[in-house]
Amino acid sequence: MRRTGIVLGVLFLLVFAGAGYAADPIRIGHTVSLTGGASMWGQSEANALDMLVKKINAEGGLLGRPIEFVRYDNRNDAVETVNVAKRLVSDGVIAVIGPAQSGNAIASAPVFERGKVPMVVTTATNPYVTIDQRSGKVRPFAFRPCFIDPFQGTVAARFAMTDLGAKRGAILYDVGSDYGQWLSKYFEDAFVAKGGSIVAKEAFRSEELDYRAQLGKMKELNPDVIFIPTSQKEAAMAAKQARDLGIKATLLGTDNWGSPDIIDLGGSAINGGYFVNLTDLADPDIQDFVAEYKAAYGSDPVLPNPVMAQDALLMIVEAVKKAGTTDGDKVAEALANLKDIKVTSGTLTINPEDHNPLDKPAVIQQVDVEGKTFRFVKKYVSVE
Amino acid sequence: MFLQTLITGLSIGGIYALMAVGYSLVFSVLNFSNFAHGAVIMLGAYVGLALATKLSLGFGLVLAGSVAGAGIIAVLNERLAYSVLRRRKAPSLYLMISAMGCSVFLENLVYATIGSRFYAFPEFFGRQVLTLWGSSVSLLDMGAFLFALVSIFALHVFISSTRTGIAIRAGVSDMTMCSLMGVDLNRLIAIVFLLAGGFAGVAGVFLGIKYLVYPTMGWVTNKAYIAAVIGGLGSLPGALAGGLILGVVETFVSSYVSSVLRDVFSFSLLIAFLVLRPNGLMGQDTEEKV
Repeated sequence: MRRTGIVLGVLFLLVFAGAGYAADPIRIGHTVSLTGGASMWGQSEANALDMLVKKINAEGGLLGRPIEFVRYDNRNDAVETVNVAKRLVSDGVIAVIGPAQSGNAIASAPVFERGKVPMVVTTATNPYVTIDQRSGKVRPFAFRPCFIDPFQGTVAARFAMTDLGAKRGAILYDVGSDYGQWLSKYFEDAFVAKGGSIVAKEAFRSEELDYRAQLGKMKELNPDVIFIPTSQKEAAMAAKQARDLGIKATLLGTDNWGSPDIIDLGGSAINGGYFVNLTDLADPDIQDFVAEYKAAYGSDPVLPNPVMAQDALLMIVEAVKKAGTTDGDKVAEALANLKDIKVTSGTLTINPEDHNPLDKPAVIQQVDVEGKTFRFVKKYVSVE
Repeated sequence: MFLQTLITGLSIGGIYALMAVGYSLVFSVLNFSNFAHGAVIMLGAYVGLALATKLSLGFGLVLAGSVAGAGIIAVLNERLAYSVLRRRKAPSLYLMISAMGCSVFLENLVYATIGSRFYAFPEFFGRQVLTLWGSSVSLLDMGAFLFALVSIFALHVFISSTRTGIAIRAGVSDMTMCSLMGVDLNRLIAIVFLLAGGFAGVAGVFLGIKYLVYPTMGWVTNKAYIAAVIGGLGSLPGALAGGLILGVVETFVSSYVSSVLRDVFSFSLLIAFLVLRPNGLMGQDTEEKV
């Protein structure tokens, strides 16, 4: 009897091992900031992806094979991100999700291109993630599910003028950040194009803490709105210092503000500020996702990265299905021609010309310090 | 605009001066630049933050706790990292390198244990703004500035008229002679570090309230170092003057020239002083400065 048990056990193991062999997993890379300043979003992004992949694998996986992540921490550092990219290419992943930051994505793009690995970034919004700045041509292996900065800057300017009635704008930005420099330009262009005037455009250097000299200059010029395209940390400090100088102008920011800790960091000074974001917890399209995430991890997802990462994974899954293979060239071609696919944030169509999504909406949120939340204000589908 | 720039400059300069005092105190006695001072300021801010958020203490107790905490940390820092070198009569360059090591060590210790997140102090005073002749100044800045002036003045009185203060001054001019006269050098140096640490605690709390608390917040002390050099390393009135001058000059450069050129200007000033007037505005003659 005992012998039969052992034989059965061995047989069982063999069958199991055999099954594992038959369905070799499809390996998808994930380059993400699990530590460092952007870890809040990175962790949430990883959670959301693990949650989704469990579901996909339970439903039979992709091309009959389970999906497996090869995940490395890029620490939100450009050098480390390039190392991670090289490692992922040599690991032989079929596609990559991330990085989330434009600077890191631009640094990684050539590595993935040489390795013929399609890269689908999550929240990198700079135009030059998918377009090579030097040649002006689209990068054949770079894609994204999120809107791009010219759209974001224009939305911010349009909102400032029509909803806030602003005519005089001021800009405070980080001269050491691509993100801030480009967004300042897009905001300025859109604001001026519609008849507004930018009365002050002041820069600071990354790692600097005191912006009172710049803000003091702005105060003299009496702007209606101050556009601050920085991360939540700088925005919080700028807000405190602006209020200390007695500046009453409305503060307006971009998707990098969208971290819950901006409420603690900025306190009453940031209260009432508006910013552009990719998604909103109150967005009806993502309610199922939010509920599922909350059930699995006991807290709200740190938006927008988890949603965008799921969109990126669904893009890859859909493209591989359509291509019927995991070959890099074929998957990239399928990614470029995705049309009306269902993703977590809604539906998605990729423009084959620039590898950006068509008509990706942007939301305006308002910081509500008393309620410790971001209030949904408005959704923009286009700025035409 | 002129007045507003001046007020802003003075309030930034007040914080520089508070930090510069710590450099100058240690330099005056041990003749080396204690680059771990920034890390002590950072730890002082974390101590204050813990008292304010975990124990919900009021501003006075937070400040006192932070002063005590940073003072003890500074004394421990000296005991563990400098005293052995000092007893071996190592050149001050070694002490400075040890200090740099401590600074990196402490920063990374915080990264590893508390993490890289940013924190803010609770709003102790709300956001009240005073208006003076059309220029605005927050009550907090005004308070911080006055507190800096008063505490630096109190330190000056302590050093120039108490017994311990006289012993410190004796140590400044000749350590060996001082110990021959029966002064306990270890105790004297511990007091100096306690004082420097106490000022680091005050600076940490003010910096934390004004800006944010995070592991590399101590880097701002490179500005305090410039202030100390301008005023003359080792001189307390010099640290105050240097801090205020640097704060005001920087703010004027930002406002009237370019905010991006501000640090180019500050560091050029540092080099100019080191080359042309290594003893600063009020420093005494010494051989080594950096």
